[in-house]
Amino acid sequence: MKLKQQKNGEWHWFTGGIIVSLLAMATYVVFQALSYKSYPFGITASFGSITTLFKYPFTALAENPIIQKYSNSPAALISTTMIFSVALGGFVAAKLNKNYAPELIPSVWKKYHGPSVLKRFIIVLFGGFLLGLGAVLASGCTTGNILQGWAHLSLGSLVAGASFFITGIIVAKILYPKTGGQQS
Amino acid sequence: MILKIIIGIIVGFIFGYTLQRTGITKYPRVMGMLLLKDFKILKFMLTAVTFSMIGFYTLDSMGIIELNPKPLDWGKLVGGLIFGAGMGLLGYCPGTMLSRIGEGKKDAWVGLFGTVLGILFFAVNVKFFKTHFTSKSISGDISEALGINQWIIVPIAAILFIAIIYLANKKVDDFKHNF
Repeated sequence: MKLKQQKNGEWHWFTGGIIVSLLAMATYVVFQALSYKSYPFGITASFGSITTLFKYPFTALAENPIIQKYSNSPAALISTTMIFSVALGGFVAAKLNKNYAPELIPSVWKKYHGPSVLKRFIIVLFGGFLLGLGAVLASGCTTGNILQGWAHLSLGSLVAGASFFITGIIVAKILYPKTGGQQS
Repeated sequence: MILKIIIGIIVGFIFGYTLQRTGITKYPRVMGMLLLKDFKILKFMLTAVTFSMIGFYTLDSMGIIELNPKPLDWGKLVGGLIFGAGMGLLGYCPGTMLSRIGEGKKDAWVGLFGTVLGILFFAVNVKFFKTHFTSKSISGDISEALGINQWIIVPIAAILFIAIIYLANKKVDDFKHNF
C-alpha cells in the first residue's frame, strides 16, 4: 500500500488523522466488548502504569488509591505494553523512512537557547513533571482529552483540551518571543 | 493476558508509527503550533476528532457502544493549564514523547522520568487534589447539559471543526524553514 506523501516525505495530515480516528474507534469498540470502563488509548494510563513501579521500593505506596487504580485496572497490561509499542512504532517509522536522527536536544532549542544539555534537561524534567501532574488532574492527556474526549464532545474534555493550549501558547511565546518569521 | 499484550502492541505500534510518519513528533512542529505558525498538528487532530465524533455518535445510536463523556470539574481546567505549561516547555505531549523516544531523541527520556514524577506527586497528594479539584463535578454529557438533541449538536460541531481546519489550511505547513 502506497500512501500519498507530501514533498517532505511526510504523510498528509488528513491521512494521519483518519488512521488515528479509525484506531480510536476500533479500540473503543473492542474495549467496550471486553467491558473495560476506560478509554482505550489512555497514554496517561500508560505513564501511570510505570509509576506503579515505585510501590516496590516504597511499600507504603501500595496502599495509595491512585497507584492501586493503575495497578488494578483491567486494561493495565495493555497500558504497560503501549509504553513500548508506541516507542517501537516511532522507531520503526523513522528507520524505514530513513529519518532516524538521534539527538540529545532539539536543534531549534540549541539555536535559541544555547547548547547546554543540562539546561534543556532541567527544563524537560520540570516540564515532564507538569505534564504528568496536569494529565492526571485533568484525567487525560492530548490523546484522552482531545482525540477521544473532544470526539465524545465531553464537557470536561472540551475545557481541558482548550486549557492545554492557553498555557501552551503562553509558554511557547515566552520561550520564543520573537519567532514569527521576522528572524528568519 | 496474551490478548491484552497483543492489543497493546497493535494499538501502540500503529499510533506511534502514524505520529512519526505524519511528522507530529517534530519539536519545531509542536512549538510551531503553539506559536500559531504551523497548523499541521491542529488539522491532523481535528480531522481525527471530527471523523471519530461522527463515528462514535453513530455507533452509540446503533447501540454498539456507549458514549463515556468525561465529567466537568475544576481539575479539568487547572490540570489542563498545568499540562499546557508542561507541553510548552517540552515541545511534545505524552503520546508524542514515547514516539520520540523511539526516534532516538534523548531528551524525551528525561521528559518521561519527569512525567512519572508528576504522576507520583499527584498520587502522594491525592487527598489534597481530590478535595480541592475533583470532589464536585457535573455530567460531561453535552446534549444533556444544553438540553439539545445530540444529532443537532454533532453536525454543528462538525461544521465548526471543519471550518477551523479550512482556515488553518490557508497557512503553510512546514514551519521548520522559518523557525
